[in-house]
Amino acid sequence: MGIEFGLEDLAKYPFMKEAGDYVKKLSLRVEDLGQEDYRPAVERAKQRVMEAIQKNYISIEISEPIVELLSFPLALMLVKAMNVEYIIHRYSLAEAIRAESLLKEEKKSIISYIFKSTFNLEPISVKHELFDLKIKLIEYLKRATHFHEPEWKLINRVVDNGFVYLKTHELVRLIREEIRRTIYDRMKGVSLPSMPKNLKEAVHEISRVLPPRSDKFQRVTPDKFPPCIIYTLDLIKKGQNLSHYGRFLLTTYLLSIGKSVDDIIDIYPRSPDFNERMTRYQVEHIAGMRGGRRRYKVPSCRTLATHGLCFKDKILCAKIRSPFQFGKKPLFKKKSTGQIRE
Amino acid sequence: MNEKTVAVLKQAFKEFYFKNAEKIITPIRMKEREFGYMSFDKVMVRHLSFQTEGDLRAFLIKEMPHSVYYSCAYYYEPTFAMDEKGWKGADLIFDIDADDIPTRCKEEHDHWICKDCNFMDKGKRPDKCPKCEGMRIDEKNWVCPLCLKATKDEAIKLMDFLLKDFGITKENIEVYFSGGRGYHVTVERSALEELDQLARSEISDYVSGIGLNLESLGISKRASYEKMQRMLPLANDSGWRGRIAKFFSEMEFECYNSNDVKDKMIYIYRKMKHKNFENFVGEVIGKLSTKIDAMVTTDIHRIFRLPNTLHGSTGMLKRRCDDLLSFDPFIDAVALGEEPMQIFVDHSPKFTLMGKIFGPYKSERVKLPLMAAVYLIGKGLAEVD
Ligand code: SF4
Ligand SMILES: [Zn+2]
Ligand SMILES: [Zn+2]
Repeated sequence: MGIEFGLEDLAKYPFMKEAGDYVKKLSLRVEDLGQEDYRPAVERAKQRVMEAIQKNYISIEISEPIVELLSFPLALMLVKAMNVEYIIHRYSLAEAIRAESLLKEEKKSIISYIFKSTFNLEPISVKHELFDLKIKLIEYLKRATHFHEPEWKLINRVVDNGFVYLKTHELVRLIREEIRRTIYDRMKGVSLPSMPKNLKEAVHEISRVLPPRSDKFQRVTPDKFPPCIIYTLDLIKKGQNLSHYGRFLLTTYLLSIGKSVDDIIDIYPRSPDFNERMTRYQVEHIAGMRGGRRRYKVPSCRTLATHGLCFKDKILCAKIRSPFQFGKKPLFKKKSTGQIRE
Repeated sequence: MNEKTVAVLKQAFKEFYFKNAEKIITPIRMKEREFGYMSFDKVMVRHLSFQTEGDLRAFLIKEMPHSVYYSCAYYYEPTFAMDEKGWKGADLIFDIDADDIPTRCKEEHDHWICKDCNFMDKGKRPDKCPKCEGMRIDEKNWVCPLCLKATKDEAIKLMDFLLKDFGITKENIEVYFSGGRGYHVTVERSALEELDQLARSEISDYVSGIGLNLESLGISKRASYEKMQRMLPLANDSGWRGRIAKFFSEMEFECYNSNDVKDKMIYIYRKMKHKNFENFVGEVIGKLSTKIDAMVTTDIHRIFRLPNTLHGSTGMLKRRCDDLLSFDPFIDAVALGEEPMQIFVDHSPKFTLMGKIFGPYKSERVKLPLMAAVYLIGKGLAEVD
């Protein structure tokens, strides 16, 4: 595709392979990162991580594209060095949100290029009053089934000749999870060399802003919980924002093990965006007490994995498909259906 | 079923497979599929696989099964246990069954019998026998041309979704009469084969009209006239929006008579008020959607009757409909011959096979051509005595 894709674009979307290649070509050495030349990039890297931890958000700062671009792999190193799983998650999510807000404003040609090169997805521009792009039905379904809001249901989409029509921001939202995953995987792949002093200090500084552990959180006893649930409880315990889907998981899970709606609502006040009425509404909705809807089931491990909420324990989670089955002996040997159709 | 009857059925099936083995169509990618069959002693055998067409045919002649099945799924190891087969993908299959479609004829031709006191009556089975209060009730569901016409109409509607909305090419869709009570619509060779259960349930909800909200049509309580004018669909739009707009453009409403479908929808919306309009759209969706069995479409391991094999409870064929519109199950899917055979019929409504009319019968001994005799025996309405 003949489109101009400059340094500034790479700085905006540093998770792209092209951005990685660009940095590689500079053949930087870790030892050099202590030098004054790299101070702005290190500072910016630190800022990226701090913002992610404190605000769940990473600012957009592309006045000096090369600084911005370099700060990304540096930030990955910092996060990796902290070696706290939930920070890794939080950081990759914040980066994904940053990318999302940039992409929403992006030209269609750039979007198409990025999606093609990074996610192997080929959106096609359309001339339509209500939509900007279309993607193949299968590409839509693979992603949209992870969303629970009615507007993502296929039937509420314009579907024509094997394509699903979307507004730009919807397409970007659809792909955010993959951006997060890409960043997450990149981070997992980062090898940690021994770092120069200034980077070590940055790691230290960041560690200091981590919220202290609170022990007042004892209503539910965590030892029998699956790792994904422990993670969500952990976030709440630390007073941090839990994603919409994280709440969905936690609520459905607690309902499934017999917690009352009130007990569950009690757990939530620790979120920064606490609003009791809203929380009650959501919990009751999920419990099937509202709007005549069915009671929601705990999402499957697979779905949770795609939301970055699965922290699979190799042994304890070995044979289960849903957190609900955690710690229980499977009741039936075969869950598979495979019935006959006359 | 008494032994004599079973023996007669077996013989009829055996002869059929012997004469028609070449007509068995093997499904594409046969080696990757699981096969299974049910014998006349009702023993189910699964996890089989066949390497060649010849193997499959030889097997049919040897086993003369009551029913033969193949998986919609493709596996690495089709003969392994379900959890170990290694799922690669599965055809997307829709099942339309007369049971799921309420037709008026059912009141006339469906029967039930109380197993305790033998009381029998027409229509849907009650929870308990009105005579002896027994709960052991046997349904004798019949299927008539009207029932099958109704299922065919659903299949036709479904085709529209598959072709226009999902963009599946005609060559990749096969429609089969199931040999029993409806149609199977199978999508093969499509990228959709890799879809998981969740995605398939979205497909199933889409064609069944489940979950459509008014906002997706461009209607909301707070929207101004202008906004709705902008968001509402036109009759020739694609997908559900277009289907619903088309319905509105064609419907009569009071003396509304402009051709502006958007204006008409807004007019009706405002006249009916939100809740009533929502209900009304629900009814419209009911008409435009197709009545498929969602359990079948979302089951990625299910096994289906093999095309061109006999249906054990009718003696008819599961048969591909090359031209759905003109397909007549009671002619095109009749497989057995006309050799005369004496049976005792408990009861049977009137029915037609190959243009010949039979019945109604009531507790009588009759001589019928094999095709008709097996049809009644299969349905449990007659026996060889
Ligand atoms: S495998 Fe399932 S239960 Fe275990 S952490 Fe992942 S999502 Fe939770
Ligand atoms: Zn009775
Ligand atoms: Zn009928």
